[in-house]
Amino acid sequence: MSEVETPRIGVFVCHCGHNIAGVVDVDKVAEVAEDMPYVVFSTHEMFMCADSGQELIRQKIKEHNLNRVVVASCSPRMHEPTFRRVVEEADLNRYLFEQVNLREHVSWCHMRQPVEATEKAIDLVRMSVARAAKLEALPIKKVEVTPRTLVVGSGIAGLTAALDIADRGFEVVIVEKDKVLGGAVAKWTHLFPSDQIGEQVIEPLIDRIMRHEKIEVVRDSKVVNFEGYIGNFEVTIQNNPTGAERTYKVGTVIVATGFEPFRPIGYYGYGESPDVVTLAELQEMPRQYELFKPSDGKPVKKIAFIGCVGSREPGTKGHEHCSRHCCSAVAKAASDLRQRCDEVLVLYQDIRTYGRGHEEMHRLARGRNVIYSKFPPDQKPQVTIRKGKVRLNWFDVLSEDHLQFEPDLLVLASAMVPPSDIEETANLFSLTRSADGFFNPEHIKLAPLTTHTAGIMIAGAAQAAKNAHESAIDASGAAAKAVGLMARGKVEIESTVAQVIPELCSTCYTCVSACPYGAISIDKDAKPQAARVTEAKCHGCGTCAGGCPSSAIVMLHSTDDQILAMVEAYLCTPQEVTGGNA
Amino acid sequence: MTQSMDYVETPKKYVSDNALVIGGGVAGMQAALDIANQGYKVYLVEKTPSIGGRMAAIDKTFPTLDCSACILTPKLSEVARHPNIELLTYSEVEKATGHEGNFTIKIRRKARYVHEDKCSGCGECAQVCPVEVPAEFEEKIGFRKAIYLPFPQATPAVYTIDMDTCINCKRCAKTCTRGAIDYEMKDKVVQLNVGAIVVATGYKLFDVSVYPRLGYGRYQNVINAMEYERLINAAGPTHGHLIRISDGKTPKDIGFIQCVGARDVNKGVPYCSRVCCMYGVKNAVMAREHDPEAKVTIYYADIRAFGKGFEEFYEMAKTRFGVNFVKGRVGEVVEDSETKDLIIEVEDINTAQLEEVRHDLLVICPGLQPPDGLETIAKVLKLEQSEDGYLDIEDTFSAPVTTTIPGVFTCGCADGPKDIPDSVTAGSAAAMRATIILSKAGAK
Amino acid sequence: MMTEAKATIVTENDWEPRIVAYCCNWCSYAGADLAGTSRIQYPPNARILRVNCTGRIKPEFILAALDMGADGVLVSGCHPGDCHYTSGNLKARARWALMEQVIEQAGVNPKRVRLQWASASEAQIFADGVRALVEQVKELGPIVREWK
Ligand SMILES: Cc1cc2nc3c(=O)[nH]c(=O)nc-3n(C[C@H](O)[C@H](O)[C@H](O)COP(=O)(O)OP(=O)(O)OC[C@H]3O[C@@H](n4cnc5c(N)ncnc54)[C@H](O)[C@@H]3O)c2cc1C
Ligand SMILES: Cc1cc2nc3c(=O)[nH]c(=O)nc-3n(C[C@H](O)[C@H](O)[C@H](O)COP(=O)(O)OP(=O)(O)OC[C@H]3O[C@@H](n4cnc5c(N)ncnc54)[C@H](O)[C@@H]3O)c2cc1C
Ligand code: SF4
Ligand code: SF4
Ligand code: SF4
Ligand code: FES
Repeated sequence: MSEVETPRIGVFVCHCGHNIAGVVDVDKVAEVAEDMPYVVFSTHEMFMCADSGQELIRQKIKEHNLNRVVVASCSPRMHEPTFRRVVEEADLNRYLFEQVNLREHVSWCHMRQPVEATEKAIDLVRMSVARAAKLEALPIKKVEVTPRTLVVGSGIAGLTAALDIADRGFEVVIVEKDKVLGGAVAKWTHLFPSDQIGEQVIEPLIDRIMRHEKIEVVRDSKVVNFEGYIGNFEVTIQNNPTGAERTYKVGTVIVATGFEPFRPIGYYGYGESPDVVTLAELQEMPRQYELFKPSDGKPVKKIAFIGCVGSREPGTKGHEHCSRHCCSAVAKAASDLRQRCDEVLVLYQDIRTYGRGHEEMHRLARGRNVIYSKFPPDQKPQVTIRKGKVRLNWFDVLSEDHLQFEPDLLVLASAMVPPSDIEETANLFSLTRSADGFFNPEHIKLAPLTTHTAGIMIAGAAQAAKNAHESAIDASGAAAKAVGLMARGKVEIESTVAQVIPELCSTCYTCVSACPYGAISIDKDAKPQAARVTEAKCHGCGTCAGGCPSSAIVMLHSTDDQILAMVEAYLCTPQEVTGGNA
Repeated sequence: MTQSMDYVETPKKYVSDNALVIGGGVAGMQAALDIANQGYKVYLVEKTPSIGGRMAAIDKTFPTLDCSACILTPKLSEVARHPNIELLTYSEVEKATGHEGNFTIKIRRKARYVHEDKCSGCGECAQVCPVEVPAEFEEKIGFRKAIYLPFPQATPAVYTIDMDTCINCKRCAKTCTRGAIDYEMKDKVVQLNVGAIVVATGYKLFDVSVYPRLGYGRYQNVINAMEYERLINAAGPTHGHLIRISDGKTPKDIGFIQCVGARDVNKGVPYCSRVCCMYGVKNAVMAREHDPEAKVTIYYADIRAFGKGFEEFYEMAKTRFGVNFVKGRVGEVVEDSETKDLIIEVEDINTAQLEEVRHDLLVICPGLQPPDGLETIAKVLKLEQSEDGYLDIEDTFSAPVTTTIPGVFTCGCADGPKDIPDSVTAGSAAAMRATIILSKAGAK
Repeated sequence: MMTEAKATIVTENDWEPRIVAYCCNWCSYAGADLAGTSRIQYPPNARILRVNCTGRIKPEFILAALDMGADGVLVSGCHPGDCHYTSGNLKARARWALMEQVIEQAGVNPKRVRLQWASASEAQIFADGVRALVEQVKELGPIVREWK
C-alpha cells in the first residue's frame, strides 16, 4: 500500500455540448466542487473527452500537482478507459482517476428538472470527491497472451474466423456441438443474394479447415468448463457420445454459436397440418426440381409465405426484434419457386430487403408475378385447416379487402432466436444478453464484436439476427480483434482483485464457499492459518468481501472505506437550503 | 476473374508489411486501428482536412441515442496517437502500381498553407480572419473563416487555409505566434510502398433537388436530414436550437419524408440505402425530445428497422415518443407564401386516402450514393464498380470485403450503404484480410 | 451510536426522500445508463453507487446508509443466473433475507430497502424500480430512528 500523501484533487465538469449543460448548471457544479475537501482545482469544459479536454487534464495535473482526478461527464462504462489513459500520460496512476456520471444518470433522465438535476450532480460529485480522496495507486499488471484461439461453433461465422486466424499464423481450436460442421447455411437451398446453394458456400470452407495445419477441429463436443482471464484461458471440452474430456490453453475466444429457427407452434396452423412449414424446413426439403406436399406427396402448385412469424411481435409469445434475413430469404425463395409453381403469394408487414442486391431480388420476384400483399400488424392473417386443406384469410391493406387463398403449401418465415442452450454458453463465458436474447456487444455502435469479458469476442448470429454475408464479415472482424491481442503478445489486466488481511481472518470459510471462481482457499501452512486469494483466478467481483464477517478482505479499488466515504458524503453533508438555481 | 495490376519488376517474394487505408471515416479509422494494433505500419489517407467522416457531423446515433461526437472523439484521438498510424489528411491517392503484397502508391498532399508540426490549433488566426464563408461541415448553414478547423474535435487539430476564398490579407500570419502559416506552401507528392490497401471512402448524400416536386432548394423550410442533424446539434450553427430557416421560429409540426433517392429505379438508385429509415426515426424522436409539444410525422414506404435493437427503437418512437407514422407517398409540396409553411399532398397507403397536410418544417431523408471521386480511386486501383457505382466485392460469402483486385479491400459505405456498427465491423474485417497478406512479410 | 438524522432540518412539505442505490456494474448500472440514453425520465432522488457485483454489497453498507439518514436503499443487480460473475447475486439474495430481519429488529421498516434485478437492457425496469421505491418511501415519510 502506498504511503500516505495528502490528496490534491482536480475536478473537471463536462458540458458534453448541450447534453449535460442543457440541464445541469455545470458552472455551479464546478463552483461548489471547489470547496469540497481536498479539491485544489475545479473547472468546467465543453468536451472533456476531446483532445483539448484531455490536454487540459494533463496540463492541470502538472500545474496544480494534482494527485487525484475527478471527471464529471458521461458514463464511466464509456470513457473510463479514455480518462485513465489521460491521467497516465501525466504520470498519474490510472486508479487515481474517478468518473462521475452526469449524463446518463442525471441530465438525460431528469431533463425537465434542472434544479433537482443540478442538486443530484453536486451530490454525485461530492461523493466521488470523497472516494477519490481514499483512492490508492495500484500496480499495472501485464500478462502473456497464449497464441491460440478457441472458436465455439462452426457455422459460416465460426469457420471464417478460424480460417482467418489460422491464415494469419495463429493456432485455432474449433468446437462444434453438432456431428457435422457448417451450421445453418449448409442446409439452405435458396441462398440469397447469390444463386448458389448453401453447400457450395460451406464445403470449400470445411475443406480448407480440415486440411489447415493450424486448426484443430473438435466435433460433436461441447465446452463444459471455462476458467482463467484474458490471454490465459483454460477450456475443457467434452465429447458428447463418449464423455471424454480434454483441456486446452487458449489466449482468446470467439463465440459464434449462431441461432435457432423459431418453431412457431400454435401460430398459423403450424403443427396442425404437415403442409404448414417454416422457411427453414422448406429449405431442408429434398433437392429436386418439383416441390411435393408433405401431406400427400402431390406436387405443390400454389404456395404462400407469411413474413415476421415470431418477429416484431412484442408482448406476445413472439419476439420483438426483426430477424433481418427473412424478407430477403422469402423474396429469393418466392422468386425461385415461382418458376415451378403456378401461384406464389407473400404476406408481409413491411418489406425489409435492405442489403446489397436484395431490393433487386424483391423486384425480380414481383417481376415474376409473385403476389405481395401487406397485412396490418394488428390484424394477422388467419389460417384454418379443414379436411387437411390449408386456408388463408387476411385483410389486404392496399385494396382494403378481405382476401382468401388456399395454398398447397404454407411457408412461415419464422424468427431467428438464440439457441436453446444459450444461457449455458452465456454463463460459461460470463457474457450478458440483450433484449433480443442474443449476446451483448461491448458497445452497440463502436465495439460490436468485443464483449465486456476481455479476450472474448462474438460473431455472426450469436450477436444478433443477421444474414450469412454479414456473419462472415463479423467473423473476420472478430478474428482481427483476437489476432490483435495475440500479435501484441502481452496485455494489461485489471488489478482490482481481493486481498486478505491475514490477521483479521477467522478462517470461517465463508469466502471460500462464496467465491464463484474458486480463487480463495485457506492457507493451512500459514501460521496462524488464513484465507489466501489466488490473484490470477480472482475476477474482482467482491462476493467474498461482501460476506466476510471479519472484514478481513480488502477489495482493491472498491474498499469498504471508499464505498462508505461516498455514502457519508451524500448523507452527512449539510444540505443547501436553496438547491440549484438553473 | 481477378486481374493483377501493371506488373512492376521487384523481387518476386518481396512483401511490404505496410498498409494503406483510403478514407478516414469511422470504417477507415477502425481498419487502420486493427491493422496497427497488430504491429504493422498504416498510412491513413483522408481527402478533407480532418478524419472522422460523416459520423463527426451526426448529432445522435440510433438505436441508443448516444451522442455521436462523444463516442467518436476517443476514436479520433486513438487514431491520432497510435504510434503505428501515420495520418495523411488533406491528401489524395494519385497513382498506384503493383500487386498484392507490393504496391507503389503516389499520394498528393495538398497544401494547407499551415505547417502541421507548428500549428497548435489555438485558433487565434481564425479570429482575425475577415473572410466568412458557408461551412461545409455545417452543411453551409453556419459559417467558417477562410482559415479554419472544420469542427472543434477535428483531428489533427491543425488549421487549413481555403485559398479559394482567402483574400491574402496576411492577418492570420501576423497573429500566429508559432509562425505556422506559410502562403507559399506547395502541394507535395509522396511515394509509399504498401502490401495491402483498404478503400473506405464512404458515401455522399443523394441530391434531393433532383425531385423538383419536393421543393428542396426552392423552399427554405424544406431541408435535408444532414442539415437537420447540424441544426439540432449543440455544437452546430444554432447551438442545438431547431429553427426554421425562413424566420428562425421553432417548428411545431414537422414532417419527415423517407426513401427519397433510394429504391427508385428511374433515378438510378434502385437499392435500399439501409440507414435512412433509422436515422429518420431517430431524428423524429429527437424532434419530440427537443420539443415535446411538437407534432412529428414520418411518411414512409416500409420502415426497415432490421438491425440489433432497431425494431425496439422503432416501437419506442411510436409508443413512448409519440411519433406519428404514416405509410404514404408524398406528392407535390407547395409553400404557403405568407407563412412559409408547406402544404403537402400525401397518399396514405393504409387508408388509400389522398390528403393535404400542412407542416411548418419538412425534413427530407435522402438515400446514400457513392462519393464523388470514387470513380477516380477505382480507376487508379483498377477496381470494378457495380452499376450503381459502389465497389464490387469478390464474393458475398467467402470474400465479402475483398475487391476484384487481390490485396485491395473495402469497408464501410464504399461497397454499399451501411450503418455505423456494420461499417465498423467491415473495417475490422478488412483489416483482418489485409494483415493476412502483411504477415507474409516476415515474422511479426 | 445511532443519532437523529443529521439532515432533517427540512420541513415536511419540501421533504424529498434520499435514496442510496447500489448497482452492479454489469447489469443494473448499464441498465441505468440505458435509461439515460433512452431518455426515460424518473425521479431524481437516487444516488447511484457503482459496485462490481451485488455480491460485493455488505449488509453493513445498507445499514450504514440508513444510519446516516438515507430514507431508502436500493440494491439492483443482474437477474439470477445472469450475474457477470455467475453467482454473486445469488449470495446477495441469500444475505438479503437476513438483512431485512436485522433492519426490522432495528426498528426500520423493511419497505425502505428494495432488492431488484434489472439487466443491461431493462432500462424501464430500472427506472420503474427507482420510482417504486421513491413512492413507497414517500408514503413512509422521513426515516426516524427508533433504536439506540
Ligand atoms: C430459413 C433461413 C434462411 C436463410 N437464408 C439465408 C440466405 O439465403 N442467405 C443468407 O445470407 N443468410 C440466410 N439465412 C441466415 C443465415 O442462416 C445465418 O446468417 C447464418 O447461418 C449465421 O451463421 P452463424 O455461423 O453465425 O450461425 P449458425 O449457422 O447458426 O452456426 C452456429 C453453429 O454453432 C454451433 N453451436 C451452437 N451452440 C454451440 C455450443 N454451445 N457449442 C458448440 N457449438 C455450438 C451450432 O451447432 C452451429 O453449427 C437464413 C436463415 C434462415 C433461418
Ligand atoms: C443524415 C444521416 C444520419 C445518420 N445517422 C446514423 C446513426 O444515427 N447511426 C448509424 O449507425 N449510422 C447513421 N448514419 C450512417 C453513417 O453516417 C455511416 O454509417 C458512416 O458514416 C459510414 O462510415 P464510412 O467510414 O463508411 O463513411 P464516411 O463517414 O462517409 O467516411 C468516409 C471518409 O472518406 C473520405 N474520402 C472520401 N473519398 C476519399 C478519397 N478519394 N480519398 C481520401 N479520402 C476520401 C471522406 O472525406 C470521409 O472522411 C447516418 C447517415 C446520414 C446520412
Ligand atoms: S426481415 Fe422482414 S420478415 Fe424478417 S422479421 Fe424483419 S421485417 Fe419481418
Ligand atoms: S473477489 Fe473474492 S469472490 Fe470474487 S473472484 Fe475474487 S476472490 Fe473470488
Ligand atoms: S467526456 Fe463524456 S460527457 Fe464529456 S464530452 Fe466526452 S462523451 Fe460527452
Ligand atoms: S455482476 Fe451484476 S449481480 Fe453480479
